[in-house]
Amino acid sequence: MEYRFLSKKGIASFLTGLLKEFKVYGPIKKDGFPLYGEIASEKDINLFHTPTHLSPKQYLFPPKETLLKFKNGETPSIESVVEANDQILFGIHACDIHAIRLLDRVFSYRPSDINYIKRREKTVIVGIDCIPDKYCFCKGVNTMTVDSGFDLFLHPLISPNGKSNRINSDRKPANLGQDMSAGFLVEIGTQRGKELLRKHTKTRKTTVKEIRKIAESKNKKAELFTKSINAEPSSLPLIYSGSYNSPVWEKIGKICYGCGSCNNVCPTCYCFDVRDNIQANLTEGERYRVWDACLLEDFAKVAGGHNFRKTRGERLRHRFNRKFQYQVDKFGGLFCVGCGRCSRTCLVNINIVEVTNELIEESNKRS
Amino acid sequence: MKTKHKPKFAFFSFTCCEGCQLQVLACEDELPDILSLVDIVNFREAIDEKRDDYDIAFIEGSVSRNHEIEEVKKIREKAKIIVALGACSATGGLNCLKNRFPMEEVQRVVYGDKAKKYKHLDTIPARPIDAVIPVDYYIHGCPITKSEFLDVLKSLLLGKKPEIPNYPVCVDCKMAGNICVFEKGMTCVGPVTRAGCSAICVTYGCVCWGCRGLVDDPNIEAHEETLKRYGLTAEGVVNKFDLYGGWERHGEGK
Repeated sequence: MEYRFLSKKGIASFLTGLLKEFKVYGPIKKDGFPLYGEIASEKDINLFHTPTHLSPKQYLFPPKETLLKFKNGETPSIESVVEANDQILFGIHACDIHAIRLLDRVFSYRPSDINYIKRREKTVIVGIDCIPDKYCFCKGVNTMTVDSGFDLFLHPLISPNGKSNRINSDRKPANLGQDMSAGFLVEIGTQRGKELLRKHTKTRKTTVKEIRKIAESKNKKAELFTKSINAEPSSLPLIYSGSYNSPVWEKIGKICYGCGSCNNVCPTCYCFDVRDNIQANLTEGERYRVWDACLLEDFAKVAGGHNFRKTRGERLRHRFNRKFQYQVDKFGGLFCVGCGRCSRTCLVNINIVEVTNELIEESNKRS
Repeated sequence: MKTKHKPKFAFFSFTCCEGCQLQVLACEDELPDILSLVDIVNFREAIDEKRDDYDIAFIEGSVSRNHEIEEVKKIREKAKIIVALGACSATGGLNCLKNRFPMEEVQRVVYGDKAKKYKHLDTIPARPIDAVIPVDYYIHGCPITKSEFLDVLKSLLLGKKPEIPNYPVCVDCKMAGNICVFEKGMTCVGPVTRAGCSAICVTYGCVCWGCRGLVDDPNIEAHEETLKRYGLTAEGVVNKFDLYGGWERHGEGK
């Protein structure tokens, strides 16, 4: 593993340099809350933040995207559309990098998804270490750290008087800005990342003492979690497969809206619908895809009106199983990365950790 | 596309502000194409012609007088397809706020003490048009969105079933990248309200008031609980739902 030291000044010039070459998306504040957005100047970025409310998947898998354009008439034509531009995702947390690695597997599964793949190839990922909030549980699903899937990864060096490591008990983001002063250790993930760093800023060699701090802050971070799944990640598929008839589904189905927010904020939910939009002349138009969500009533409705998952409880069971069982069987690895966004967004407080722990408890009683 | 005969469209308006018709007329970029594909034979706000040989009727506004019941029924007899245009027509809309009060009082407040003498000033509880006649398709919203009107129109011309969203505004909010209004210390009825508006109100800093009506299977009980948990009183919860949802909740009475 190769590391370089980057000072606070160095990171500013790095961003300024990148902005000349790329579209850069990173954590910003919207209405006082952390969110990924386009960075216009290095001052916009809010690098030290608790998890963003929406995931960065939108930059690889946009909510709506044109797939092809068509024209009817005497010589009909079809033209495929792949919109992919060079872009940098800056300040992405470990859980989201794990999620992107899962999306990579899904979208490259036969037949591979050209729109995603092309966009992914043109995307540089700069990760950053983070502080968990009360919904985070990445530690329990082995996604607290990440060793690949990024071009560069920033490890902030905690300054002695920095107010970091504070659990954010309310929903407001903590002010962690002071950490910047001590600079970063930059973990080099790819040659592309290394070259960008060399091109746009100055770094220096790291000291052994500094490297040791990475392990120290990992240990500190591990103590900050308030929520944890009470079973080994590898045992979860089996626990879920045994929980199909659990009363939990009806219980949470009763309070669920079926609003699909959990799907839409999830970094690994990737379902979409494909629709056509024809122009008013009725001769030309486009085929596009748009995010779909398995919690929505019409998701599993088929021609003739039959709905395979009519109740909200059935739909919740399906989504949870997609995270902890079905996708694991197909792609390997849990499809929940512990970001806690679904629990944070849920207005009726359906919490993915609490639900899973209830199932674990039931399962323990059964055996 | 060559059509042998152009389908004939008509637009009618009942109790409303006629803002949804204005949205139709504001489709300036598309109107030339539309007019090459359809004949509009009745549209008081736009043309002088008034013919009764229409295939598809767009009806705007709610029904709030006995006389309007008869008129709407006549339109149903003539049209092959009826489309409710906008909140007043599709779900009753704001007009149904008056249903909270006795009709005599409503009539007196608006038209004065002598109103009872005049037959044309009669008033009945406001209602959506599907409380009077069967409706084939709905275009929701206060006002409607141009894109949705055009989508429905194009679907009808292509012989396709128009796609009316049956998911809540939360979906549109997330796709628009909005921070939830509940996070910001406000409340809304978006989680039970039919989407299709691109969450325009929330995107511009307001909250969702539910102008597009409820989704097919709303979890009202859950949302009442949520609103209370976020500090609303029982009366506040009712008011939240009733601005646009009066008819869906209470029908004629309260």
